Amino acid sequence: MPRTTTVDCTGCPPLRALTFDSLGFIKVIEARGKGGGVPKVVEIWGDPDASKCLVAASLNDRKIDPLLAVARKNGVMEILNPLNGELSFSVSDDSNAGVRPEDNVIVGLHLFGKRRLELTSRSCTLLACTTKGHASIKTVDMVDTKVDSGAPKTWNVCASGNISFSEVDGSESYALFGGKGVEVNMWDLEKCTKIWTAKPPPRNSLGIFTPTWFTSATFLSKDDHRKVVAGSNNHQVRLYDVSAQRRPVISFDFRDTPIKAVAEDTDGHTIYIGNGSGDLASVDIRTGKLLGCFLGKCSGSIRSIARHPELPMIASCGLDSYLRIWDIGTRQLLSSIFLKQHLTKVVFDTNFTDEEVKHDVAAPDAPSIDEVQIADETEKPPTKRKKSSSKENKERIKKKKESREKEGTKKSIQEKKQKSGT
Amino acid sequence: MGGKRKNTENEGMEGDEDIQNINKKMKKEKREILPSSIKNKEKRSAVHAKLKHQKKLEKRKKLKARDAAAKRAIELGEEPPQKQIPRTIENTREADETVCMPDDEELFAGNDADEFSAILKQDRTPKILITTCRFNSTRGPAFINELLSVIPNAHYFKRGTYDLKKIVEYANNKEFTSIIVVHTNRREPDALLVIGLPYGPTAHFKLSSLVLRKDIKNHGNPTSHEPELVLNNFTTRLGHRVGRLIQSLFPQSPNFRGRRVVTFHNQRDFVFFRHHRYIFETKETKQCESKGKKSKDTKGETISKEKVIARLQECGPRFTLKLVSLQHGTFDTKGGEFEWVHKPEMDTSRRRFFL
Repeated sequence: MPRTTTVDCTGCPPLRALTFDSLGFIKVIEARGKGGGVPKVVEIWGDPDASKCLVAASLNDRKIDPLLAVARKNGVMEILNPLNGELSFSVSDDSNAGVRPEDNVIVGLHLFGKRRLELTSRSCTLLACTTKGHASIKTVDMVDTKVDSGAPKTWNVCASGNISFSEVDGSESYALFGGKGVEVNMWDLEKCTKIWTAKPPPRNSLGIFTPTWFTSATFLSKDDHRKVVAGSNNHQVRLYDVSAQRRPVISFDFRDTPIKAVAEDTDGHTIYIGNGSGDLASVDIRTGKLLGCFLGKCSGSIRSIARHPELPMIASCGLDSYLRIWDIGTRQLLSSIFLKQHLTKVVFDTNFTDEEVKHDVAAPDAPSIDEVQIADETEKPPTKRKKSSSKENKERIKKKKESREKEGTKKSIQEKKQKSGT
Repeated sequence: MGGKRKNTENEGMEGDEDIQNINKKMKKEKREILPSSIKNKEKRSAVHAKLKHQKKLEKRKKLKARDAAAKRAIELGEEPPQKQIPRTIENTREADETVCMPDDEELFAGNDADEFSAILKQDRTPKILITTCRFNSTRGPAFINELLSVIPNAHYFKRGTYDLKKIVEYANNKEFTSIIVVHTNRREPDALLVIGLPYGPTAHFKLSSLVLRKDIKNHGNPTSHEPELVLNNFTTRLGHRVGRLIQSLFPQSPNFRGRRVVTFHNQRDFVFFRHHRYIFETKETKQCESKGKKSKDTKGETISKEKVIARLQECGPRFTLKLVSLQHGTFDTKGGEFEWVHKPEMDTSRRRFFL
């Protein structure tokens, strides 16, 4: 008998995740069926083109009108609808015309959730940061491109060195930047000022000085912008407290390769770190103690870790082209999917519900998920492409809300008519 | 004792037929005592030897029966019974979902976009830089000389005390396409580092079973024609990538008249390197009398057929490689991120291979 030990992968609860890879594909993975669903790729969006390699992504998954912003290697930022992959808007980074886009790749991208300006039309605000340190906040108006919604605010994050990451906190008013030769620094986004910079730990007794090179960082909790965890190239993980001091509060070593991804847990004191040789571990950051490693034959560098906001599971993806889903409590591998390309980022779609609803066939023009504009009397509902049943379920959920909204608009239109009539 | 008691009990309880069955069962149980449960060494070894002998006799009987059946079938003109397929480790290999399928669009797109496509599409000609680790060794220089003769357009540079990162920079400036570093341990070459340039992946191979040209009997001397390349059995995505890395070392336009072939054969994650010269010959084979009965023209004459075969003459070194890790960028121990690194927790199955 061949000597084998197989641990059966237990299935995972219903989930939907989007992965971004280095060939420009966005793959949608869904797992259906409670208690033991096997995730499968349901859709692939994009064309294979290495210059369109997806470098950064940010999902704003609110219930109404979710948006997905992606940044590609050739400097183009696109805004897509995460339900069906339709391209809503595309912005090309033409601020520095002299520099080739490949040299100044976008490193971090964040799509703001709350509206920054009082525009009622569909607009969204993006914070983008490139390797040379050019950070910019742009507001793009997706409906009317001619409307110039203000010049983008740009500033230089660092004088020299390369930026490796940029993160925005839960309240969306503070941003973190750091990288090779650049210490972790926190900026206030409203005033565009740097409020805090980290200081390297004092030289050790041997006098050895390692140059700063931070590879990833995250805010420790959504509400508190003061605690920051950063991972460095020489396999150190550091906790900084902005309100206390500039030097790291806790700093510990993890194995031998650079820490490529850090993600925080919703309980505020556990973090997940992934490094360049595929080791994923969870650490209690209050004490710096390693809680445990996630063992599951991951042999490639982990590029991104995502924590599901409700269910206790995390997804990790990396250069070995696998997306793995783990259970947090038992640190077991729930499932793994082979996705054929080097993956750069993964995000969870939280509004996915696996309801079995009867399909309403007599509804060819599904109403849009727009926030209904009162100014327009004749509504033009853009038809949504019905691609899979999950989207129909989503439409089902949204239809209820829209029906309510539509009733509201009908009333308002009637009111307007009455007003104009009188 | 227990057997006897059971016998008497059952005799009383059940009928005669059942007694016979139960008797047979008792006898069977007696025969199948495992030798490992006998504590007495002499008795145990005697039982074991007897078992082995019995198995051998059974096997011989089966073989004779099979041969006889095959012969009979041939004589009667029917098809011989199906030959049984032996169970090998390659047959029972664990199903791997990363195996490249021939109709995979993403695979072709990925190939177009990867680091080797420029070389493989003949936009760049391969230019190899070979160097060693810092300390010299006994067999190292001989091996490097042979490598220089195997790989066309390869240049050897002495290592000196340069940092490998500096060497990569230097090679990029001089437009090399790959670097091969032969690492030695205990005066024997034991690792090969293949670095694709300019940003290419770094493959770290463990080298073993090295046989130099002078140690091969009846070896041939390679010419300087461009060799043909044979890559066998690189099935998974990782294997495909490693195969392309190896392919990018050699020029893409082989000279068939040179009759020189270099083979990288992957079996169970070991890559065997062989270097041959071949020659086509026509060999006349005559059909034997005894088999003339089965031939379609039943005249029983000897018919001479001409068959073209290829004869091989081995030249050049012979070695085996095993992939230890594949790094995403150029060589960087500290800051490197790995695409594939071997971890002991992956070895839980004897039927799982990665290349």
